[in-house]
Amino acid sequence: MDILLITTIIAGLYMAWNIGANDAANSMATSYGSRALTMKQVIVVGVLLEFFGAFLFGQRVTHTIAKGIVPIDIIDPHLVVVGALSALISAGFWITVATYYHLPISTSHSIVAAMLGFGLAIASRGEIGLDQIGWNVMTKIFLSWILSPIFGAALSFLTFKIIRFILFERFDVVSVEKVFRYLQIFTACYVAFAHGSNDVANATGPIAAALGYMGRETPIWVLFLGALGISIGFATWGHKVIVTVGERITELTFTRGFSAEFSTATTVLLASYLGMPISTTHTLVGSVIGVGLAGGLSSVNLKIIQRIVVSWLLTVPVACALSIAIYTVLVIFV
Amino acid sequence: MCPFNSDIHGVGDIRMRFIRSVSDVFGYSPFEDLRKHAELIAKAVGLLERQFEAYRKNEMDEVEKLRDEIDDLEHQADLIKEEIRGRVTSSLLLSVDRHDLLHFLEVQDGIINYCEHVGHMLTFKRIKAPEEIMDEFSVLLSKLMETINEYEELVDHMSRLIASSFSKREIERALDHVKRVETYEHECDLIQIGLLNMLFNSNMDPVDIYLAVLWVVHLGEIANYTARSADRFRIMILGRR
Repeated sequence: MDILLITTIIAGLYMAWNIGANDAANSMATSYGSRALTMKQVIVVGVLLEFFGAFLFGQRVTHTIAKGIVPIDIIDPHLVVVGALSALISAGFWITVATYYHLPISTSHSIVAAMLGFGLAIASRGEIGLDQIGWNVMTKIFLSWILSPIFGAALSFLTFKIIRFILFERFDVVSVEKVFRYLQIFTACYVAFAHGSNDVANATGPIAAALGYMGRETPIWVLFLGALGISIGFATWGHKVIVTVGERITELTFTRGFSAEFSTATTVLLASYLGMPISTTHTLVGSVIGVGLAGGLSSVNLKIIQRIVVSWLLTVPVACALSIAIYTVLVIFV
Repeated sequence: MCPFNSDIHGVGDIRMRFIRSVSDVFGYSPFEDLRKHAELIAKAVGLLERQFEAYRKNEMDEVEKLRDEIDDLEHQADLIKEEIRGRVTSSLLLSVDRHDLLHFLEVQDGIINYCEHVGHMLTFKRIKAPEEIMDEFSVLLSKLMETINEYEELVDHMSRLIASSFSKREIERALDHVKRVETYEHECDLIQIGLLNMLFNSNMDPVDIYLAVLWVVHLGEIANYTARSADRFRIMILGRR
């Protein structure tokens, strides 16, 4: 293996680590915040289920990111490696900077925009036509970014309304919450599995492309590597994120946590099935707002919607432009 | 500085900077502060009762000390009120209407303002009044204490309302508290009328009568504001989205 490919894999591993450390931890923090699980249990569930989700169900989204946006089949494999590396470096850099400023950005948005940047860069050099970029796929992805938080919100709204009308009106709230403590263990696993299945592609998609991925199946060891990266990120850094986030969301009782997690996981898993790389975090925020709209939370900060939209609008051009710049420089020297 | 950097994560620790968090979706919830605000009011009424007993025993140093303590509670209540007003912004999706909540807070704050007034009035002058009039004042104050205790239970009930997402059962329980507060307030009214009757038909010094009437009126306002505030609470929980 040449040095370029190894660098790409390392960049992909950083991406996977970051996803595990931040995004996976965020989606699991609800279980910790509601005290359905202890920290040890969260770590075990997170590491295992993220791994299985990524390893067993990560190929469809990986396929989209590897081949859906840039037509790698018709490009010189060497240029594909350079492009995949540029995409990973720019996405990784942007994610790190944005995290420092607490922007609620999405790793999925970053890598998709970065892959698009690679496509645009290569088209600008005349290697492919502009129309050969997967605009169809891009349109679908954009749509899925808008729809996924809304879908999550609608689903959690319904879920909580049902709990409220069927259970809260008939039984004592405390006993209902007790039952949902156990159900929330199930949804915690569900979220971890779904998250792994969708977000692993942010790391494995570019690696698969760089490996000259021609067939329909993602090489199994690439998924294994991505899954491992996420699990390691979760185990090494995740607990810090979980404590920070979990402390602030104690208001999420078991029924609320269940509603938000169930809806998030269902939406994300559906997106994985459709091969759409969406943001788990944005879907989770949408689902929490859904619970709030259903009357389940005493206070929801709607300003977050504005911040998410701004981060979204910032991520796409920044990650895209960075990727174009890095590709243009790399292709000269490498 | 980045305009998006809302420093609410405790980012003093550099490692904490490298955290993306969904927790921003949870807004400021004013209900715990509202409960604390009500708790201060109940404390103030309790002090007022003690202050009056000290007044009857002619312990004027104690009377003045308790006046200062009530002043202090009123000040603390003001700080909580300002905190709530400053943080309940229109970008929050609250489980009750924002205007209903702020209106409720306004009236609830009125209760402690009247406690403060009475606290001062007890320090103005020693009045000479027959024992039965002073006894009746003690009766009024203990009835006020009952009213405010019931009221505090009503405000405490908010946590159950939120936990059950305003289930019918919990709303009914809250409304029962409101009704009881209103009953107590009515009983206070009757005691006040009796007291005024006694005062105006007594042989007391006219200035003493005037001051005692001011006490009655202002103690009455404490009960009135408590009942009005309970009513605002009812409007708030029934007027939810």
